[in-house]
Amino acid sequence: MSQSDDVPLQVRGKDRSNQSSMSDGKSEQSNQELLVEEIPAHIQDLLPDLKNSPLEVALATDLHFSGNYGQDWLLATNDKIIAAQQNGLPEYQLQQIDLKQIDKVEILNLHGNNILKIRIANQGIELARFSKRQADKFNEARFKIEELIQTQKGEDQKIDTRPKNAGRKTRCEKCGKAIPHWSEICTACIDKGKTISRLLKYAVPHWKLLVGGLMMMLVLTSLGLTPPWINKMLMDEVLVPAHSAISLGQPVSENAGFLLLKYILWLFGITIITNAFGAIRSYIMSWAGQHITHDLRTETYSHLNTLSIDYYHKRDTGHIMARMTHDVERLQDFITHGIQSMLRSGIMVVGMSCILLWQNWRLTLLTMWTVPLLVALTIFIGKLYRRYHHIVWRRVEKISTILASTIPGVRVVKVFGREPDEIERFNLHSKHVLEGGLVVSKIGAFYHPTMGFLMGLGTTLVWWAGGRQILAGTMSIGDLTMFLSYMWQFIGPVQELSRLNERFIRAATSAERVFEILDTAPDIANKVDTTHLDEIEGEIEFKDVIFSYDGELNALDGVSFHVNPGEMIGLAGHSGAGKSTLINLITRFYDVNHGQVLLDGRDIRDISVESLRSHIGVVLQDPFLFNGSVAENISYSKPDALPHEIIAAAKAANAHDFIVQFSDGYDTVVGERGARVSGGERQRISIARAILKNPSILILDEATSSVDTETESKIQEALERLIQGRTVFAIAHRLSTLKYSNRLLILGHGKIEEFGTHNELLELDGVYAGLCKKQAELSQIRVI
Amino acid sequence: MDTINIEDELKFVDPQQIELKLNSFGDLELHLPDGTVHTPVVPARSFPLTDVTHYIAIQTDNKEREEICLIEDMEQLSGESRRVLEDALEKAYFMPVISRLQAINRRFGVTQWKVETDRGVIVFDLSSRSAISQFDGGRLLIKDIDGNRYEIPNYLQLDPKSIALIETQV
Repeated sequence: MSQSDDVPLQVRGKDRSNQSSMSDGKSEQSNQELLVEEIPAHIQDLLPDLKNSPLEVALATDLHFSGNYGQDWLLATNDKIIAAQQNGLPEYQLQQIDLKQIDKVEILNLHGNNILKIRIANQGIELARFSKRQADKFNEARFKIEELIQTQKGEDQKIDTRPKNAGRKTRCEKCGKAIPHWSEICTACIDKGKTISRLLKYAVPHWKLLVGGLMMMLVLTSLGLTPPWINKMLMDEVLVPAHSAISLGQPVSENAGFLLLKYILWLFGITIITNAFGAIRSYIMSWAGQHITHDLRTETYSHLNTLSIDYYHKRDTGHIMARMTHDVERLQDFITHGIQSMLRSGIMVVGMSCILLWQNWRLTLLTMWTVPLLVALTIFIGKLYRRYHHIVWRRVEKISTILASTIPGVRVVKVFGREPDEIERFNLHSKHVLEGGLVVSKIGAFYHPTMGFLMGLGTTLVWWAGGRQILAGTMSIGDLTMFLSYMWQFIGPVQELSRLNERFIRAATSAERVFEILDTAPDIANKVDTTHLDEIEGEIEFKDVIFSYDGELNALDGVSFHVNPGEMIGLAGHSGAGKSTLINLITRFYDVNHGQVLLDGRDIRDISVESLRSHIGVVLQDPFLFNGSVAENISYSKPDALPHEIIAAAKAANAHDFIVQFSDGYDTVVGERGARVSGGERQRISIARAILKNPSILILDEATSSVDTETESKIQEALERLIQGRTVFAIAHRLSTLKYSNRLLILGHGKIEEFGTHNELLELDGVYAGLCKKQAELSQIRVI
Repeated sequence: MDTINIEDELKFVDPQQIELKLNSFGDLELHLPDGTVHTPVVPARSFPLTDVTHYIAIQTDNKEREEICLIEDMEQLSGESRRVLEDALEKAYFMPVISRLQAINRRFGVTQWKVETDRGVIVFDLSSRSAISQFDGGRLLIKDIDGNRYEIPNYLQLDPKSIALIETQV
């Protein structure tokens, strides 16, 4: 994003929203279109002549004022509002209000429904009642109506301040369908084919292997279809003739033994080939699948690392993690197993049908109609079975919930003497499980025999029809056995194919979730011609900086100040005043919307992000340690640091003494998030980290909160050493922390309220002086 | 030393002594026995699920929602006040009562319910099972993805098909 200084703020604001994403622009436009719905004839007839003023808003509600479901209408042209309401009467009543009369448009946000109300000189009129489903639509309408009123009254248009829906979306912006809780994106709007083909692009580097694997699968599947065929030959050419010869007292044909051996060897060979090559094939496919997901995973992770803080700010860590692990895994499963088993099932169904039809189409048509029926019934009963199984499972889960809440809370239960009630509650739920379990047993008792019965019925049918054909001499015994074995093989692949759509959608959704990360462009990107700074002085200047996180409220609103190299600036102000924002702009986690941040007289956007951050050290309020040794954590800021440098840094941070007391010394593993070391220790390790980096600019974020007095003094000491000769920005609520500051910058509501030395500000007798007084009072109370 | 009587904190008013009415703007006005008038005010049920006519708080209609008084039993209000309050509560707590389920369709974790209510037939979506809260006596409270609420006083008293459909969801 290139931004120049001379562009006025309002235009800048618009720029931002246009640039932010293409889809924003689209949705705004579609919202405009959505504000005019098609009006049914019976409402149209009621309306006055609107030829001169086209409808700007025409929305149907889903509630009447009586509270019954039904449509009332809210219409607006550029000079009036018309409401058509049906209040328990057969006829709609029209209300017309001149826009010029309207003082205020409001939406009453109630439980389970909302009401749009306007106020005119001496009256309030409720115009539309609607359910929460239509809340967004009518909010848009309200803004539109306000706009129309302003135009009509000739007032200046206010800057668009409508709140944006930042929370989790429940409905798709494009199609309005509900979004499943687990997916975050609309399953209906994914272009399945496109997403899957994009996924398959990752397979291109491994195409030789994949094609090989698929070819093997084709051959093996076809081979797998042959044993029933060989069985048939064995029966018809060897066993049956031999058997009938023996029963007639004739000698068995000479080459019968040879033929038997031949077919047995065939069968043996096929078994060996299908299983041996099956193993190779499945390894090849997993190899390819795992490599593809590895590529996808690493690409996604490295892309995640380029994304700005803003991206993480707006999303739940758990959800990002789920995309990296769960979704990628599901894709791997789809590539290694999903595609294959679909193809295999397809080939098997088609192949078997062809063989059977070719062999004996009459018997096929006569008997095979039971197969789809069988499949349908197993799917149906299976669904029922699973459903009730699920019910019981959930009831059991409820029992676990009770246990999980009462066992840890056993002290509360005992203190208030509620044991009998808890026992009763538990018994009740246990009984629910019992009842549900019995239902499942009932279905299970019914399910398995039904399955068996249906299978048996199919077999019997084949026997019956086949038997009759054998008796009529139109069919061989071999054919019959072949039919029977194919019939048993048919069910699996057909069931597999019936789940095809769901499998596809799941995979496409996972792919979409991963691709969504890949498609997010980093906000903070290096410009083409950035410079790399090896050495800096540490002079910082803010020039009329305006910044907003959400485009609504300015977190910094016209901030200008100048800091000399080596100066320490204490930042103070209530929470939300803009202290952290100021830091975020210096470290360039965000870019300014307007104005400039200068380092040594250069705009920081002209400096490469890497070299800028290489000069900045940060000690955070709750220092983050990675799960590794103390030494690794200290040298995180300088991976090639020598051991003596690490020790020197730890000494300077007053950390050396406690580190060597650990039985593992610098090799002590700090645990997840540094959980195995205390808060004060964590803080000093993070100070050592900052000292080792030796940055020219240092940022301290309330570095001495929540530790005991002695530790605090040690940390103070360490900090004093750390801040020597650097430009320092220290955020603190406690004034004692700020006593080393050269100057203090007091922020309030995104603006600089006061800026000067301690004494200057006391003389000013403003906000800072007030803070000092308050703190003095507080400490007095504590002493008493 | 006397213990604090926590009930002293309650701002009960004598329902006979107060008056609720709508002003010309349609805002609710509260007239207290001492002659003070508060407007605009909004009613809030203390127990919206278990007791809809008792402990109705009257609050200021602003961000703070400060309580002005608590009406122990709205049945004791004078006729006109009661009608006004009932009306306001009906709007403020819109919760149709489901009398029959026509169908539940599942699609990738979203369930779409088609139901008959005392307010008419409606179709709504739930995105997770936690949208249904179960209470004693078969009472269900359902919150759809848009934030609308529906009630089933006792699902075990519905027709068998509705019960079967519900059993798959709770």
